Amino acid sequence: MAATRGIDRGRVGADAVDQAFADDQAAFVRVQTKAGMDFFSDGLLKWQDIFRPLMGALGVKPHTLVRWFDTNTFFREPELVGKVATVKNPDGVVAAASVPRPRVATLPSPYMFSRAAHSDQDRNRLMLDLAQRVLRPAIDAAVAGGAELVHLEDPWLGYFGIKLQALHHNLKATLAFHVYFGDAGPHIAQLLRLPVDAIGVDLIETDVAELGSVWDKGLVAGIINGRSSILESLDNTVEVARHLADTVRPRNLFLTSNCELGYLPTVVAEQKVLRLGEAAHKAKELASV
Amino acid sequence: MTAELDHKPLLTHEIGSLDKPGWRVKAYAGKPLDEKDLEEARAWGERLAVPEYGKLLDLLRHAPFGKEQKAEIQRWSSLYALRLEESAGLDVVYDGEQQRTEMYDWAVNHTNGFERRGSVRAFDNKYYSKAAVIGPISLREPFHNAEFSYLVSVADAELKIPVTGAYTIADWSFDERYDVDTDLREPAADRRRKRKAARRDFVLEVARSLIRPNLESLIGLGAGWIQVDEPGASTEADELDLFVDSFNASVEGLNATFSTHLCFSDYNLFFPAIERMSQCRQFAVGFANYDSRELGTSDEKRPGYQVIKKFRDLSYKPALGLGVLDIHSDFIESPELVRDRVLHAVTVFDDPSRIHVTPDCGLRTRSWKVAYEKLRNMKAGVELAREALRL
Repeated sequence: MAATRGIDRGRVGADAVDQAFADDQAAFVRVQTKAGMDFFSDGLLKWQDIFRPLMGALGVKPHTLVRWFDTNTFFREPELVGKVATVKNPDGVVAAASVPRPRVATLPSPYMFSRAAHSDQDRNRLMLDLAQRVLRPAIDAAVAGGAELVHLEDPWLGYFGIKLQALHHNLKATLAFHVYFGDAGPHIAQLLRLPVDAIGVDLIETDVAELGSVWDKGLVAGIINGRSSILESLDNTVEVARHLADTVRPRNLFLTSNCELGYLPTVVAEQKVLRLGEAAHKAKELASV
Repeated sequence: MTAELDHKPLLTHEIGSLDKPGWRVKAYAGKPLDEKDLEEARAWGERLAVPEYGKLLDLLRHAPFGKEQKAEIQRWSSLYALRLEESAGLDVVYDGEQQRTEMYDWAVNHTNGFERRGSVRAFDNKYYSKAAVIGPISLREPFHNAEFSYLVSVADAELKIPVTGAYTIADWSFDERYDVDTDLREPAADRRRKRKAARRDFVLEVARSLIRPNLESLIGLGAGWIQVDEPGASTEADELDLFVDSFNASVEGLNATFSTHLCFSDYNLFFPAIERMSQCRQFAVGFANYDSRELGTSDEKRPGYQVIKKFRDLSYKPALGLGVLDIHSDFIESPELVRDRVLHAVTVFDDPSRIHVTPDCGLRTRSWKVAYEKLRNMKAGVELAREALRL
């Protein structure tokens, strides 16, 4: 923070910023390692918002500042005027070499991307173009860079007839579609029809009972609250995980936070990552008994 | 606010924050100052005709600084910022919040019941410090009195005090007191209901136990116009009534002019809730961020200002603080662009006395050079509008 503020005001150089990012990333990797995470993230630490590296790859400028749902965080509308170009070098989405493997890559869903953009194009056409010309190259780059789980973020509820085949076809990674900032309960049947390997739900907003018991995909269970500073109880988190495994019976159960942890101070986020790892470890132990 | 100012057409004022000069930041943090810092203090002192600014230069040359010297440097910073706004020609001024750490952090640091948790991104690479409420809320000490008393003693123009509002303070905090026990196996609807009730208790306790006593204290010192800053007000679309209730609980029955500042939102969300905010005499709202940079006064040329009709139609007829400067860009709005934005608003309102002219928000993310040029052009644009309207 101090380094980026300093460079904005001409008080430090780019080297100091790069070093600060490297230090922060190393710290985040240490936390994930300590927590025993199965997939590693680079924390998107250099991303000023979820669209920014893709905008960089497209060579488009950030536009107006817009509130990110009901948070006190803002993003810049991607300015996508005219036909969307095919991304050639989406290097910004590839984690640094220092991030252990296997990795999880996080990207915006094409639906969310198309709705958040400032564009003169038809939104549905734009969504398809973004999927094919921007997100698929980004996914391929991330997978080539060691990602084995590709996590498409989509807090935009209400639309699920999305064309995800272009992302899923011949993909050698697990593709998860995660809905958050809202109750996914009424949409479970539609979500389960999506051509992805796993569905993510925000369990802070969604009733566990609504998930049903006919879950023929993986379940990415958002059980850690990424918007509350209260640390979840270990026992309760394990109990919830076991409850999900017993009642929903997904093909695979992934435990995660309900949304990104960027709404929390780093020290709180680290405690939550550790708690998540602890809970997953204990749940696995109990399951193997 | 004086009666004269209350009815002045196209009254100009700032919103709140300005960047803090390097010499003030370094001195306060105990870091060494270099010649560049001293030159900055000298150049702005000269440019703004700050009286006896040579004393500041002397003081800055005598590091390290003790507690009283740091406080003196902060007062100098206040004086510089005040002169910047006066020199730009604004009718109503303050000190760019030079004596505060930040609008949220400053308030919770003077309040019982909160504990810091760390920093969180607001946008781009800009962060804010976030605390959690952990116990009963009460005012530890009035936290704007010292700066206000100082500014009264040195200001030539009228003062307006920016104060962070209750809803924003609660919204920007974590809740570790009101809604703590959650079991995800419980029905989500029950959990949501408990969360909303807890949130209401939290927001209204901030209004009654923190904001209101602080306002009473300022009014006791003679404060005439207090701006309740609520950048968080529309964060949750279903809580606009709670925002209004918190404003009313903060100011009801108090004897001063109250206004509020809203920014970076879909302003349509505020209607109809703010129809119940009759003690709010002015809404200072950021629009330039959403507007075109083309000249012109028609609806088509001014897309960022479509919603102002709704403010016009409020039955208690508040003034509109019209945001005409984009505070997230170094683009310097020309006087002609400001003029056209103002003329558009005057046409919509058909009453120039209900239009005040302001930046979209505080200018703290801009350098003083950019902020000063923007403010001067804002004033020049208002003069062009006055000429066009023959005021």
